[in-house]
Amino acid sequence: MIARAVPQPAPSADEMLLKIVGLSKVYKGGGPPVHAVRGVSLSLEPGQFVAVMGPSGSGKSSLLHMLGGLEPPTTGQIWFDGARVDGLSQARWAMLRRRNIGFVFQFFNLVSNMTVADNVELPALMSGATRRQAKERRIELLAELGLSDKASASPARLSGGEQQRVALARALANRPSLLLADEPTGNLDSLNSADVLRVLCRVHGQGQTIILVTHDARAASMADRVVNLFDGMIIDDMDVVTPIRPSVAAAGVLRLGE
Amino acid sequence: MRAALRWIRSDLRARPFQVAVEMLVVGGVLTALLLSVTVLEGATNPWAGLFAQSRGAQIWMRLAPGTKVSGLRQIGGVTAIAGPYSTTAATIVQGPLQSAVELRAMTPAMPQIGRLLVRQGSWLAPSAPGGVVLEASFAQAIHCRVGSELVINGIDGPTAKVRVIGIAATSDQGFYPDQTPGLAWVQLPLLRRIEPIARHTEEVVGIRIANSADTSFVAQQAVAELTGAVRSVSTWTQVEQSMARGDPLLGLLLALFGLVALGGAVLVIASATGGRVLVQLEELATLKTLGFTPGQITAMVVAEHAGVGLAGASLGVVATRYLTVPLLHGIPASIVPAVVPLPATWIVLMACSAEFLVVLAAAFPGWRAGRVSAVVAVRRPLPAGHLSQLARVVMLSRFPPAIVLGARAAFIRRLPAALTIGGLAMSMAVITIGLGVASTVDDVQRHPANIGLAAALTVSPGELSQAQAGAIVSGDRQVLSAYPSVQVNALLATGTTTITTLGLGTSARPYPFHVAQGSLYHAPGQAVASQGLLDLLHLKVGELVPMQINGVPVIFRIVGRIVEPEYSGQVLAYGLDTLSQAGVVSPPVYYSLVLRPGVTVSAARRHLLAVSGGRLDVTEVNDPASQLGIIRPMLAGLIAVLALVGLVSVLTASSVGIRDQLRDVGALRAIGLTPRQVMVSMVSSTTALAVIAIATGATAGFMVSTRLINLGAQVYGIGSGIGRPPSAPAMAAAILIAAAGATLTAILPARRVVATPVATMLGP
Ligand SMILES: Nc1ncnc2c1ncn2[C@@H]1O[C@H](COP(=O)(O)OP(=O)(O)O)[C@@H](O)[C@H]1O
Ligand SMILES: [Mg+2]
Repeated sequence: MIARAVPQPAPSADEMLLKIVGLSKVYKGGGPPVHAVRGVSLSLEPGQFVAVMGPSGSGKSSLLHMLGGLEPPTTGQIWFDGARVDGLSQARWAMLRRRNIGFVFQFFNLVSNMTVADNVELPALMSGATRRQAKERRIELLAELGLSDKASASPARLSGGEQQRVALARALANRPSLLLADEPTGNLDSLNSADVLRVLCRVHGQGQTIILVTHDARAASMADRVVNLFDGMIIDDMDVVTPIRPSVAAAGVLRLGE
Repeated sequence: MRAALRWIRSDLRARPFQVAVEMLVVGGVLTALLLSVTVLEGATNPWAGLFAQSRGAQIWMRLAPGTKVSGLRQIGGVTAIAGPYSTTAATIVQGPLQSAVELRAMTPAMPQIGRLLVRQGSWLAPSAPGGVVLEASFAQAIHCRVGSELVINGIDGPTAKVRVIGIAATSDQGFYPDQTPGLAWVQLPLLRRIEPIARHTEEVVGIRIANSADTSFVAQQAVAELTGAVRSVSTWTQVEQSMARGDPLLGLLLALFGLVALGGAVLVIASATGGRVLVQLEELATLKTLGFTPGQITAMVVAEHAGVGLAGASLGVVATRYLTVPLLHGIPASIVPAVVPLPATWIVLMACSAEFLVVLAAAFPGWRAGRVSAVVAVRRPLPAGHLSQLARVVMLSRFPPAIVLGARAAFIRRLPAALTIGGLAMSMAVITIGLGVASTVDDVQRHPANIGLAAALTVSPGELSQAQAGAIVSGDRQVLSAYPSVQVNALLATGTTTITTLGLGTSARPYPFHVAQGSLYHAPGQAVASQGLLDLLHLKVGELVPMQINGVPVIFRIVGRIVEPEYSGQVLAYGLDTLSQAGVVSPPVYYSLVLRPGVTVSAARRHLLAVSGGRLDVTEVNDPASQLGIIRPMLAGLIAVLALVGLVSVLTASSVGIRDQLRDVGALRAIGLTPRQVMVSMVSSTTALAVIAIATGATAGFMVSTRLINLGAQVYGIGSGIGRPPSAPAMAAAILIAAAGATLTAILPARRVVATPVATMLGP
């Protein structure tokens, strides 16, 4: 359990998977405008695991949504894999997400009328895989996440932790370059949370780039880097050099990590 | 797009009931439309149907007896020959009445070409050598049934007593009395008995050709082939024309139904798709986060409903195929002589139009679905509910809290609430209009005088003098009043248009027209006109119209508008004294008789014939209202379709509502409402919407129904004034059934929710 002692040299801009410059989001609804994100800049290397923390309402979700193209930024730039993407049309964003960006949300967002298997096969089918390819990938993923016996179940029959693992399988189905997770454990008990975190850890170990929004210090402690948001601005951005973990949580992670 | 297909499949599987209802609506509407067109076609243009069913011949020729016809088969385009059949003229004698008839000798074996369509009784049989089969319109006109005994007199004297054993329809000649003489089929020995001299008979031969367009060409060749032997030729176009009837009233009502049914279908698909999209917004947004483009989402939603529509349309086509024949048996042949299945191209065309409308109706909700923001998937604010004024009043009136909560929940989402109310209110409004049509039909049948049919019989002097005839009809106790009448054509002053005018009664004693506007004619020179004529001449009540009758100029002042379905609504009526004062030589006078209440038409007719010793000509007035009978089953079908429309609206409402209420319900149960109370709350949420919609729809329908029917009648030249409001008991029943139906429909999904454990509902 020794983290990298020496930060690696900062990679040049074209090695960055994701780069955002001066990103801000202003919501203009009925009332006064809400400045949810104020000029955030950030770069992300491939393979990095970033935890975004901050109090409720600090703009974490808004940031994540802009990164995935769910909402357009008010101002600022987003570069993905060397290409500027903030001005893309909804359809182009959709295609980018389909192949390169996986999402996991607090409330799982599984398609309730589809079986677990169908949910997981959906992204592969969407990106043009044959039924057979989609099925093979699904079997592989479900096996990896210990859900093989739930393939034909309806999502409503699964526990929260199981549902979130299905959501993870779905997000990972197309081997996205970036996984965006918005409080994936926010609605789970500690046992199920640990389950989900273990999966995240493992895919990160396989080289998956992850941005994880979380309130959970234990979750953040698994990341390479922790970004703290407050009132829409980054107040703290640090690489995790020495993991300082509460012993209980460490024990939990260890136990589940086995 | 495999992913889209998979999603559509799972969505269809998740709501089989809704899908089935949606399919039924599309299929039902299409069936209703196709059947309406079939019946209308059969009613207004029966020849095609009769021709197809009888495998008729397009050309009929009368030949000298003994002509050899085998050469006809060699003519190009001829596929078959019917006959030749021996035929002779004779007279049917019924007591004092005599009717000219053509007897045609046929065999008990029904021919392959030019078959007769036996409507009642049976065809000629060896066991009944003295039996005769009458053509249907002829039988009706001379009041014969199967079993009637008749005397047939040959031209040269021989007489035979015969029995009617059957009544049959044919495409060989037009309907009696448009085409005379009437037609009767007998076996050859009987014909020989009535007309022993072969020289006095003729032979009739029918030619069936492959392509009806070649008729005149083939006819010419046939005449050339049989040089000298051909006495006359008739072709199918003449028969078709003589059978064709424009029936404005029937056409009007069917057109109205067709439009309403189409409107209903569009409405139901739009509301079902719209409601479904609302329920699915989060899921569709989730699909967007997975990488579905807006266009794909729109296409997917439209495709799903188009697929359901297509299935429904196919269902409709199949249903039409299997219902057309039973329908044929359900409608009296006197109304619709023959119903043929519509040509496949028509059916395909109409099915495609239905499918197009489905796609159109699904397009807007589909487009909205495509535009839904992906963040809807993850941010889900419920619109903040506030207790409406209504709910507050209800609360104060100490209603059970569950009902108040439910009613309040119904209005939290304004758009779905509006959609539901709209869909249900529309169907209720149209049902109300349908009930208005029903009571209008009732009224027309009960009081035919209201559409100008006060007189049930017309009597011509026949062999009597006018004075004798006048004395008999005015002295008859069954006759309430007799109006001297004439029918003359008048030439408009412009000299290019001829119209039918009726002198009916006198200015002192005018015929009791139902005047829709203005007054009756009470002085010479005054006249009343029907809407069609006013439209034709661009006239208004009160204006003058100069005409020429039998070369004499006459100026009429139109003082009133009458409702008149005959003569395409183009008729002018005035007192007979107008003609005499203008110096017009009066054409022969007949009498229009209004019978005393309770006297049947046939009884009065028999009595008049008896009193006059059969020397009067007594004719029943053709009653267009008798054809309106088919409206009723069609109306029932239409209301069934509209009820389905309403059902879909309610289902949509309750599923949208339940999605919103799911979390509330968990909370409600957690704070101690019993499952029963929760269910009451959920059901009353839908019922509240339904009650508003039903009240709005019924009121709107009631207000426009009469006006709409009158408007339609005006367009068709009948003239406004026939419309009646729906009857009170029918309205009450419709409202009660609708409200009860809505509540029952809402109970189904609510029960399912109540059955789910509390913990699940308290989740996300
Ligand atoms: N669609 C919206 N319209 C208006 N305000 C919004 C909207 N979405 C989020 N906000 C506001 O933006 C701020 C940041 O929200 P969010 O990004 O969800 O923060 P976090 O995820 O850190 O809790 C909050 O004050 C929130 O109320
Ligand atoms: Mg958030």
